[in-house]
Amino acid sequence: MSETGDPAPNEGPAEGADAATTERRVRREIETGRWDGVRGAALALVGVGIVARRPGLVLLGAVGVGYVLYAGVGEAPAATLDVTRTASDATPEPGDEVTVTVRARNVGDAPLPDLRLVDGVPPGLEVVDGPARVATALRPGATVAFEYAARASRGEHEWEAATAITRNPSGSRERTTAVDPVDPARIVCTPDLAAGGDLPLRGLTTRSHGRMPTDVGGAGVEFHATREYRRGDPLKRVDWNRRARTGELATVELREERAATVVLLVDARETAYAASDPAAETAVEASVGAAGQAFRALLDGGDRVGIAALGPVDCWLAPGAGTAHAARGRETLATDPALAPTPSGDRFYRSLWLRRFRRRLPADAQVLFFTPLIDDAAASIARRIDAHGHLVTVLSPDVTASGTTGERLVGLERRERLRDLRSTGVRAIEWGEESFPVAVARATSRWSR
Amino acid sequence: MSADRSPGTDGADAETSAEGDEVIDPVDRPERDARPPALAVVVSLVAAAIASLATFLAAPLGGALLAVATVAFVAGSVRRSHRFLSWGAGLGVVGLAVAGYRGGGVEPLLVGGVALAVAWDAADHGLSVGEQVGRDARTRRNVAVHAGTTLLAGALSVGVVYGVYLAAAGSQPVAALALLLFGAVVLASALR
Repeated sequence: MSETGDPAPNEGPAEGADAATTERRVRREIETGRWDGVRGAALALVGVGIVARRPGLVLLGAVGVGYVLYAGVGEAPAATLDVTRTASDATPEPGDEVTVTVRARNVGDAPLPDLRLVDGVPPGLEVVDGPARVATALRPGATVAFEYAARASRGEHEWEAATAITRNPSGSRERTTAVDPVDPARIVCTPDLAAGGDLPLRGLTTRSHGRMPTDVGGAGVEFHATREYRRGDPLKRVDWNRRARTGELATVELREERAATVVLLVDARETAYAASDPAAETAVEASVGAAGQAFRALLDGGDRVGIAALGPVDCWLAPGAGTAHAARGRETLATDPALAPTPSGDRFYRSLWLRRFRRRLPADAQVLFFTPLIDDAAASIARRIDAHGHLVTVLSPDVTASGTTGERLVGLERRERLRDLRSTGVRAIEWGEESFPVAVARATSRWSR
Repeated sequence: MSADRSPGTDGADAETSAEGDEVIDPVDRPERDARPPALAVVVSLVAAAIASLATFLAAPLGGALLAVATVAFVAGSVRRSHRFLSWGAGLGVVGLAVAGYRGGGVEPLLVGGVALAVAWDAADHGLSVGEQVGRDARTRRNVAVHAGTTLLAGALSVGVVYGVYLAAAGSQPVAALALLLFGAVVLASALR
């Protein structure tokens, strides 16, 4: 983002520097064929003029031949551009508008009579003000600058190569060039993680003390059971009432509260990049938002939390606790390429992924699985993780629409999958219109521990 | 956001990237208003009107045909159809031929011819700029330079042709015709 290509006052300085700041690759050269037919029209006019002995028509035909000449002259010029791109804010908040300024300078010796420049806006960003494009003509040494605003969304976005389309003066030949500044703009947009209230976990816990009430007797606050007194039991845990009644010594056991190990698994396969309408938030976006809230809430509750992505790109943050871990988790959710706002396009191998995931998953970890559940594979993965002894809670953003018959069918299938999962003992929460914490609170009130 | 990742968005795109994955061509992203820039449409209309007027002065029937061609240019710009523009240009050439055949003067015919070329060229160029860059972007300079170049090319042709005509054809029309025809053929074949 440095202003290396700043126009120098005199022409053609630092040839080497120009080559270093912008990389140019010719993508394709074509004949546009837009003047096809003018030759035939010209000769036809000349012919009619000769036959009818009308000098005007012959002259007109000759002018047509002049245009044939015009169309044939000149190659499409090389896009000898030096492009710099500046984003107004390198670390915006989600939803902020980032103003991007693009300057392109013609560093070649030939003029560019017809230049169209399309900036390579990252696919995850939406251009909100003005197209990121310009059409102009550039003399040697001249600069064109344009700016546009893009709305920042979660993730790390790096600009792609700009596309420059140059034509010769008549427009009969066209050359498309990728113009890539060596230092493309990049923005990193990291949302703050808001704690999403209390999160329901299932009764699989670690040996460390925490907040999850367990079925293990020991120290705690809630009554669990009584047992025979053993030497060494603390005096304050002796059931003195019983001693008074029956004369026997007994010890009260309290429910031990322990920490849980939780892995937040976010479905980021290509199918999960679905939204109820093209402008709406994708399921991955909703899942990542909810996972952020869960991450914060669980860490605050003293649990050990990890993050994983179900998708072609590997993403694994081992369960941990503490401030540094919180920062790492925030960073992972915000910028990990596996959770990027647009799908990576790589192939996803389910069984390979499952094997690797199981190898990494601590034995006592439970899984919060965020998935839109719009295909059978997600439900089957939830069941398989559950079958391997990790308690699974499915949290499913509802991205189905109800417009057409097909959309309603997808919604129906999804509800059927939820019911199936619940019947096999996997807990499931879905949320659509209402916020994630509200849905969690409502679902939790129904559940027994 | 990515719901529009349809494969094969651009049939002419012969690029096969090393990733093997079809990436949407950035030029085809739906962020722009793909209508032709207003300036291109206006230039095209003005030029077409001039062509109609000039041809009407030469011969009214030819002028009527050029008026129809003007309508075709407008329709092509509105419907973003290159085909309409081509039909309009073809119709315009026929109109010019009719006007010439009916004995229209040389000067209005030449003006009409160049104006027709500029009208078609501005409309067609506007369509391609609209497709690739869009109506809302800054395009004025590009459109103006292109229309100016086409006008200049036409003016140069007319200058040369009309100069030769004045010099040679005043006394010897047949010889001038033959000379011009010969020149035309040589020029046309030189381009191959």
